Amino acid sequence: MSKQQTEKRRLFSFDKSFSTNVIFSQPDKYKLLEKVSYNSNNLINIGSNLSYSPLGFSKESLSINIRSFDRILHFDKKEKTITVEAGLTLIEFLNFTLKHNLWIPQLPGYPTITIGGAVAANVHGKSCGKHGTIRKSIKSILLFHKTHGWLNLSKEENEEIFDLTIGGIGLTGTIVSVTFELMEIKSSKFTTEKKEVNSIEESKKFILDESKDASYTYTWNRADNLINFGKGFVYKNYLDKNPSDFHGFKEVKRKFRPFIFPMWNKFSINVVNFLYSKLNKLSKSEKNENFLNVIFPFYGNENYFNFFGKKGFIESQLLISEEKFESFIEEFKSLFKQFEPTITLFSLKNMNGKQKFLRFEDNKICITFDYVNNKENLLFMSKIDSLYDKYDIIPSVIKDSRLSKETIKKSYNEELISFKEKLCKFDGKRIYQSEISNRLEI
Amino acid sequence: MKYLIVGASSGLGKELAKKFAEENNDLVIVSRDERDLNAIKSDLETKHKVKIDVLPLDFSSINEINDKLLSKNNLLSNLAGVMFPIGMMFDDDNSNLNTESISRLINANYVSIAYTIQKIKKILIKKENTSIIGFGSVSGFLGRDINVTYAGAKRGLESFFESMAFDDDLKKANIQFYTLGYLATNLSFGKELILPKASVKKLSNIVFKNRKVKFKKTYYPMYWMVVNLILKIIPFSILRKLKFK
Repeated sequence: MSKQQTEKRRLFSFDKSFSTNVIFSQPDKYKLLEKVSYNSNNLINIGSNLSYSPLGFSKESLSINIRSFDRILHFDKKEKTITVEAGLTLIEFLNFTLKHNLWIPQLPGYPTITIGGAVAANVHGKSCGKHGTIRKSIKSILLFHKTHGWLNLSKEENEEIFDLTIGGIGLTGTIVSVTFELMEIKSSKFTTEKKEVNSIEESKKFILDESKDASYTYTWNRADNLINFGKGFVYKNYLDKNPSDFHGFKEVKRKFRPFIFPMWNKFSINVVNFLYSKLNKLSKSEKNENFLNVIFPFYGNENYFNFFGKKGFIESQLLISEEKFESFIEEFKSLFKQFEPTITLFSLKNMNGKQKFLRFEDNKICITFDYVNNKENLLFMSKIDSLYDKYDIIPSVIKDSRLSKETIKKSYNEELISFKEKLCKFDGKRIYQSEISNRLEI
Repeated sequence: MKYLIVGASSGLGKELAKKFAEENNDLVIVSRDERDLNAIKSDLETKHKVKIDVLPLDFSSINEINDKLLSKNNLLSNLAGVMFPIGMMFDDDNSNLNTESISRLINANYVSIAYTIQKIKKILIKKENTSIIGFGSVSGFLGRDINVTYAGAKRGLESFFESMAFDDDLKKANIQFYTLGYLATNLSFGKELILPKASVKKLSNIVFKNRKVKFKKTYYPMYWMVVNLILKIIPFSILRKLKFK
């Protein structure tokens, strides 16, 4: 067997806010996974490297890419369970399950995210108000750990490690395969309804009241200036009731290649938002949409990210209670008036679940903002960070690569301490480390 | 249809197994790595209506070939073809390699392939149009300072496949030999190479498409044919001087 199973690479976080040279490995056999793990002191797992923050690499760790482990190991249509390897992408996964009218509904926004990455990040999709996060669909996990070896994780076996691994940002070991409980899906087509809203309060009311009947309810709101702040649309995606045949999705290789110069600025955002609003007003309030457009809205729209240019962007995703929402928005608006941040995306959805460890999950409202990565915005964001404690806000470690250890400590509080303690008990040497875990001192 | 693939657990072999199963062919897959073979079996049987038999064995050992492969008459009956996308390499394969390792390398990359073909020839010629597909390496173009034995074995294997074209017994069979350049597999991972690594997926499609061609000796990627021609034209003494310059 060749010695050269590693190479040097420069990796970037998806938001482009951080990059470093790393040692990278892509084993394609179980024996090789064991070998590369035994041969390095520190390790971390990487899938498609689509995490907004640098979760899959660190200068000091060997990045183990699990993409070659992409097989279906077991499928029971009657029991509605499937075991797949962690390197399988979501589109590959769906191309198989949808043929059998089965799926998991907790799907993040891009189809080439790997199963392992999705589990490690405890991802959610647009339907998180109804279906929660991917945790709810996971039955068991096969984990490889450098010193503990091969471990079966489930509620019945190694429950504590099972719990730490879901949303554990790859720090418990290499997720090699995952068994899911699948849900029935009659059709892979959607009907989308939209309603215009004039304020963020109106948007909130819609997502809370109407998310119960629809599969997916979420908003698109303007934040390009204070006058238009909160104006936008509420979308509701219903799965078609009439059964439809599934013919498979074609996988098209699309590239995230940022433009040399950023295209997003106050003027362009204003123009695009204006045109988008006009188009939405003029188009029908109800339309049929295909699965990929609804579930993976950025697939085919990669230029949204490329437009941020080489410096990239910062996404902030926050969980806030229904009760504290309005006062937070008021304070947000007041800071907005003062700092005039450049925001490209502002959206709301409802979230359902229970917050534990580092998981971005709770019975709260989920707010998303995308910011152009510049000094002014970073200053504005730091002011917003200081409000987390006051409003019991939980920020997403997965999305916001800028978050400091102090902010996370305050927001996650005892859950962070508990995660750290349990992780150290399991792995005293803290073998699996990423740039984010180093920064947050986990 | 049923095909035997030796070296199916990774790289080109894994891709060939995928392609041939996608085209509804049953497979017998051979490799040392049982866990990987079982994963491939589950995957392909779940996705396609095919039967995959798994044979974990060390192909550098004639004894293991006899005991675990050639003794399985039921598995080998009715074969539509055999493929040998196998390549064993050692890091210390230079002109000072020990005899035990030389023997293993020559066995895995040449002798075992020739031996298996000889032994299953009778089964293969029972049907018309059976395919015998071998894979060489551009490392066999010229003597070298690394992968010395591997290159020699691959050069010998190419000669063996050419000789099969003159074998009367095999005149109804399809004999194909691909001389492979750098492929995007784990064998080339982390190596800085002068030419780009080619896709194994594309190659597996080509192999599948050509499987019924009577005799084919080709290069993948094709530009290696030009490289070979150039190396043949330049006198060896000059090539040697270039190396020590």
